Amino acid sequence: MLSRTADNLYWLSRYVERAEYLARILDATQRLSALPLAYVGTGNEWESAVLTAGCAGSFFKTYETATEENVTDYLAFSTANPSSIRNCFEMARGNARAVRTALTGEMWDAINGTWLELKRFGTGPGSREETSRFLRWVQESSLRFDGSAYRTMLRNDAYWFSRLGVYMERADNTARILDVKYHLLLPDNERVGGPLDYFQWAAILRSVSALTSYHWVYRESLKPWLVADLLILKEEMPRSLASCYEAIVRNLDAIATHYGRQGPSQRQARGVRTRLQNSKMDGIFQRGLHEFIGEFITENNRLGMAITEQFLQ
Amino acid sequence: MRIRIAHTTTYRYEAPPKTVTQVLRLTPRNHDGQYVVNWRIDLSRDCQLYQREGAFGNISHSFTAEGPFDELSVSVEGEVDTQDTSGIVRGAVERFPPALYLRDTQLTEADAAIIDFAEATRAKAGADPLTLLHALTADLNETFAFDIEPTHVGTTAAEAFKLKRGVCQDGTHIFIAAARHLGIPARYIGGHYCRTDDDGPQEAGHAWAEAYVDKLGWVGFDPTHGISPTESHVRVAVGLDYLGAAPVRGTRHGGGHETMAVSVHVTPASRQAQSQSQS
Repeated sequence: MLSRTADNLYWLSRYVERAEYLARILDATQRLSALPLAYVGTGNEWESAVLTAGCAGSFFKTYETATEENVTDYLAFSTANPSSIRNCFEMARGNARAVRTALTGEMWDAINGTWLELKRFGTGPGSREETSRFLRWVQESSLRFDGSAYRTMLRNDAYWFSRLGVYMERADNTARILDVKYHLLLPDNERVGGPLDYFQWAAILRSVSALTSYHWVYRESLKPWLVADLLILKEEMPRSLASCYEAIVRNLDAIATHYGRQGPSQRQARGVRTRLQNSKMDGIFQRGLHEFIGEFITENNRLGMAITEQFLQ
Repeated sequence: MRIRIAHTTTYRYEAPPKTVTQVLRLTPRNHDGQYVVNWRIDLSRDCQLYQREGAFGNISHSFTAEGPFDELSVSVEGEVDTQDTSGIVRGAVERFPPALYLRDTQLTEADAAIIDFAEATRAKAGADPLTLLHALTADLNETFAFDIEPTHVGTTAAEAFKLKRGVCQDGTHIFIAAARHLGIPARYIGGHYCRTDDDGPQEAGHAWAEAYVDKLGWVGFDPTHGISPTESHVRVAVGLDYLGAAPVRGTRHGGGHETMAVSVHVTPASRQAQSQSQS
């Protein structure tokens, strides 16, 4: 397979996954900001949404303060923001068109249909209800694309590269949420159990669809260290760092076996997975949650570069 | 290097036992130089297999098989990907401070002869721990002959040292006894060794030692081969001595005399590249 094809497939999945992630953040923030001020405190939720999306720098060049309107616009519809939902879908569709023959009909229909439908939303919905509907639509589009890839693609290198994109993006996103919200998860948080924290933790879990899973796994009320445990170390939780790395290693390994040789990206991915498997939450808290997440993000970026160097150039 | 391991232990009983309970330490874990690609355990009887993590961080499985039956086999099979780390072990699960591994056990107690040997090596090689440990490895490799006849699983370091012959387990025990006498924390590693001259199944796994060196961390030493572990070594279990890292330990209720047969296949996994598809 040509590196260029692999590159297109990888980024196609990454952009679709990123669009979904942005929709999730906006959705969770909207819920949080709809609560009475007494529950949520004075913190600006919309600012933290911009931080979690990783585009604070460019955002504050354009806007002075983060409000519901301009954050929603910037993260969802802006053409100026290179990773707004609109631009993610544009780029995903551009990548898909370049490798049209490597995709199945269903995948192409899903991504092209999404792109065509995007026009229907124009420059953005006016009301909160419409925004909600839009965010739901984004998540459904991502599901449709992901599902058609899973159901229809031949299990060869094309499939593995496309999966790799999904999980790399997902690991990055979960780590980013943890990076912005880590201070809420520290066990020595003074206001443990206050309503503010409760809704914040619920929002973190909701942004990765883990609220119900949490209750299944722990059968307890929300505890910050358990939230961290679920999102970092629980391999059975589909958006946890451990689960993403299980999938990354598996797909990289399939690629290595298929090509008959392996390189730095396989070693790097295994190294990160090993560290996740050999870690325990107490140890992570002792060494510092923030440091751990910071290191993880660095390692994850290093893996991204290794994959690019080894396969995509 | 990708290594394929197939390890089967078969028990045959003269009279069928009522129940057999076993603890298996057969499952390797990942660390910086080793990655388990896939691994599975198969028992010839239907029963529940419980997974636990032992105090030393080993993964163990336990089961109880209900009899009567006259044969029981436990087989594990899997692939491990290894890299050469010059014997240095990093990223492994460490639950205890190194000083714990100074603790003597019955199998690794140093007698006068081993103490003499350790002191003589120190006199020759100097006090630098790394040089000293390498000298111990080399000396043991030279003086100690590989022979499966004279020793058994319960042979102590002192007994084996007197015989000057034994298996990898005995050499490792002597190494550990000597290192601990010299104040260096040392531990027993049970695992597998992938030989380049594949001459069919072996009758046992492999064993070597790890010693703690300041600034480097845990470093492996394989007295049987006179080297530090390479990418041919697959690390499975850690213990203070053989008993702590033994692959299978168990007990049974009822039944007559039993015989055990072990077959270990450790081979480089050939990677068959399929035809590449161009899309």
